Order: sequence, then C-alpha cells, then structure tokens
Amino acid sequence: MNGFRRREVARRAFAYEINRSTYRFPREDEKSPAYVLTPLGVRVNRVFIVGALLDKEEIKPDSGIWRIRVSDPTSAIYGYVSRFQPDALESLMEIDVPELVAIVGKVRTFEVGARIFVSLRPEYVSPVESGVRDYWVYETAKHTIERIKAMERKEDEDVKLAWQIYNPNLDEYRAIVKQALLTLKGTIAEGEEEEEEIQEFEEEFEFEEEEWDLSDILKE
Amino acid sequence: MERVEELADQILSQFAGLGYEINRDEVIKRLKLLLYEFKVPESEAVRTVRNWIIKEYGIPREKVVEAPLVKIKDITKPGQWVSLKAKVVQIWDSTSPSVSQVGLIGDETGIIKFVIWAKSGKGEVEEGKCYLFKNVVTDSFQGRMQINVGRTSEIVEIDEDIQLPPREIEVIGALVAIQQNSGLIQRCEQCHRVMTKGICPIHGKVKGYDDMRVKGVLDDGENVYEIILNEGNIKDLTGIDLEKAKQIASERLDRNAVLSELKRILLGRYFKVAGVRGGRYLLVRRVEKILGVKADEVDKLLEVLA
Repeated sequence: MNGFRRREVARRAFAYEINRSTYRFPREDEKSPAYVLTPLGVRVNRVFIVGALLDKEEIKPDSGIWRIRVSDPTSAIYGYVSRFQPDALESLMEIDVPELVAIVGKVRTFEVGARIFVSLRPEYVSPVESGVRDYWVYETAKHTIERIKAMERKEDEDVKLAWQIYNPNLDEYRAIVKQALLTLKGTIAEGEEEEEEIQEFEEEFEFEEEEWDLSDILKE
Repeated sequence: MERVEELADQILSQFAGLGYEINRDEVIKRLKLLLYEFKVPESEAVRTVRNWIIKEYGIPREKVVEAPLVKIKDITKPGQWVSLKAKVVQIWDSTSPSVSQVGLIGDETGIIKFVIWAKSGKGEVEEGKCYLFKNVVTDSFQGRMQINVGRTSEIVEIDEDIQLPPREIEVIGALVAIQQNSGLIQRCEQCHRVMTKGICPIHGKVKGYDDMRVKGVLDDGENVYEIILNEGNIKDLTGIDLEKAKQIASERLDRNAVLSELKRILLGRYFKVAGVRGGRYLLVRRVEKILGVKADEVDKLLEVLA
C-alpha cells in the first residue's frame, strides 16, 4: 500500500476495555496512526462508541477545550474536544447533558507520573436514538466475544503481546459483556428509555488535568 | 527453433492475418539487436518491432492493435493491453481536468475502476449502458487495479445486457462519515457531474440542475465501505426529497443546511445495505435503517457466554 492509506476502521470496544489499554505501539513514521493495544489483543486507533454523554465542561474558562465524560453500560471514558475538531465541537455545543450520543474518535493515551490514562478525541459527536445504543451494545458484545475467543486461541501476534503485557482475566471480560447484554434485555422487554449504568467494574479516576499539558492529545 | 524466431513468427502471423507480408529476416535482425545487444525485455522488444513494422508498412494503427478480450477477474497485472465488454456501473466526479470520466465498470466476474483520459478524446459513456472497451491498458493505482482508456483505445456501445456479479453482499454498519460534497448538490446539465460553486470541472460555468446524494462511509468494525445514496435512498431514510431539500435551503438561505440536516439524521446510525462490492465501494441496491436489536439475538450471545 505504498504511500496510500485507506480510511481506518472504527473498532467496537466497550469503555471498560479501552480504559485499560495502556500499551502504545511505536509509530512507524510521523503520519502513521498511533495505535494502542487493548487487553484483548486488538490494535485500536479509531473507535465508534455509543453511550450517554454525562458531562461536558470547559477545562478553563475561554480555553475552548472541553472535557466530556461518556458512559456505556460498562464504564465511563473521558474525551477532549477543541477547535481542532470543529465538527465535534459544533455539535457538542448544541447538546444538553445527559444525552445519548454516538462518537467516532481516536483513542489517545497520556502519562501522568507513572500512570497512563486513556482518553478519546472525538471526530464527531451526534445525538442518537436508544435503538442505536442497543444495536451498538449488541454489536460490541459480539466483537468482544470474538476477541475473547482469539485470546483463548493465542495464535495472533497482537494477542500474544496482549497476554504478555496485560495477562488479562478473560472471565472478567466475559462478565462485563454479559452485564452489558443484560441491560439490553431490560430495554427490549420493558421498553425503558434509559437503563441505569452499571458501575460495578468502573475504576474511578481522580482527574486534575488543569495542570497537564494537553497539547499532545488535542493537536494533529 | 530459437526464441527469437518464435517471436518473429508470432509477429509475422499477426500481420499476415491482416494481409501484410513482412520481411522475416529484418524482423529477426531487429529483435536480436534489441534482445541481445540492448538487453531489452522481450515484451518491449516485440512492441518496438511491431511499432517499426506499422510505421514502415504504413499500416493503420486501429487495424493492428487488437488486445485480447478478457474478463475483469483476470485483470491482475498492470501494463497489459486488453479489451473487455462491460457495463458502466457508476460514474464519479472527475477530480482532475485531465480526466474526462472516471467510475466503475463491471462484468459477470467483477467490478473495476475505469479512467477515460481527456487526452484520449474518446466519447463519454453513460451509466447502465454496456460497451466494448477495446485496447485499454491495465494499471495499478493506490494498490488497486484499474483500466485506462487512452488515445489508441476505442469504446463501442454494444447491444448486450451484461450481468454484474450475482453475489450481492449485505453489510450492517454505522455511517461514520459523510463527505462534504453531499446533500443538495448541483449537476452539470451537459455531463451530469457534480458542480462546485456553480462550476463544472469540465464545462466550467454552466447551468446546473439540483439533485441530492450522500457520499459516506459505512463501517462495520471490520471493514469500511464507501457508499453513495441517491435521492430515492435518502427520501426512504429521512423523508427528505428534492423538493423538501430545496425548501430547507431556501428557508435557511443556505444550501449547506441540507447537508447539516442529513448529517444530523444519518451520522452515527446503523444501516443495512445490500449491494455489490466493487473495490472499496459498495454499490447500494437497497438500504434500510436498523432500529434496534431483537431479543433472541441478544439471547444467542448470552448463551455463548454462559
């Protein structure tokens, strides 16, 4: 594919898996996508996520940089939107939280001390209907189950690397997928609009990002 | 027999079929010079000698060059002269003034991109019609095969209905991007190309007519497919037809308002698209919106986890 890059696929993964993706592949060159490896052995750069936009706030008054918090049934993930993502910023300004949204964005990592955090850099944020969320949870569950199976087979190079780096407990991920799917049963059977988010597996982050240099994750 | 003689006889037989008698010794001499002295590859040597014959004997070009008839699936190498019978599946907007037309053609074995160069001076093709593409050159562009229609090529409309590959695929994916030149667009009255700011890439500032389309990317988490939705598809999915679109544009005094509206309704949603795959394109035959997920599908997944 000399010199030509196809549009990259947007992977489907629950926030729980993305939040734990701390291994970064070294970039081949300046322009190549920055991939992270998830604990279930898939390279991720662009992702498609549907969840509840819970918070949006400007990190400093008039900074033009907004921090958002989005939650799927497994976990919440943070994202940063600035004027470098004009489409996302424009729609974000019109959304009142909480709201169900679909986000296409890139996964970014940044270090604070010895810890590596994961965030999203949305390309767009679009309010959607609950049916979209339902299908996304179903589809993402399906893809996650496939990844769990691949982890069991231990054949793929990235899978082997994931075992080496994360040594994940696959049962933990099965439980996560199951929980996500069970929230669907609720919506389908009872027709409820919003399900209570399952927070059981969520690790709370203590964020004080004002002190950090965010330029790396926002530019490009 | 020596390889050179073999090649010479191949060349001679071709011209004999056209009623020309060529000096065999002269051909062999020239081939030997090119192959042994100049170490030119065989195909180049043959081409050079043939060109010399054509000039020397004053043979009309169209008469000589008759590339073999092939099927699209057999086109795997660049730089081959071929002829093929195919149906024009889709015509795209030409991005460059040096390209007269670009798009996709297909036969029963596959679909391939074609480029008609402006310099070729060949007539234009129409979507849905079938043609014999004579003496076109295969090429590889950005890792994919295509055919180039140049000066020595010929395009003849044929009275045959060529069937496209029967294998239709169905993709359920999220619409993750809509390109800028979507929404309420203007097409050139002469060539139906999409105009930008009232200017047709070929005919310049001409009168246009309104149309609607969405050029977007469908993503199923494994693959991306570029899709084009026409006015009918858009109306089915959004309820916005051309009239409604014009109304939106005039109410908001902005043609782009239609694109914003379509983005608002379509982006991030799931669609089931049935169509034929051609390269990275999915030629839309039917499209419907996915409204949710069925309980039994969820149960199936839960069983896997149990």
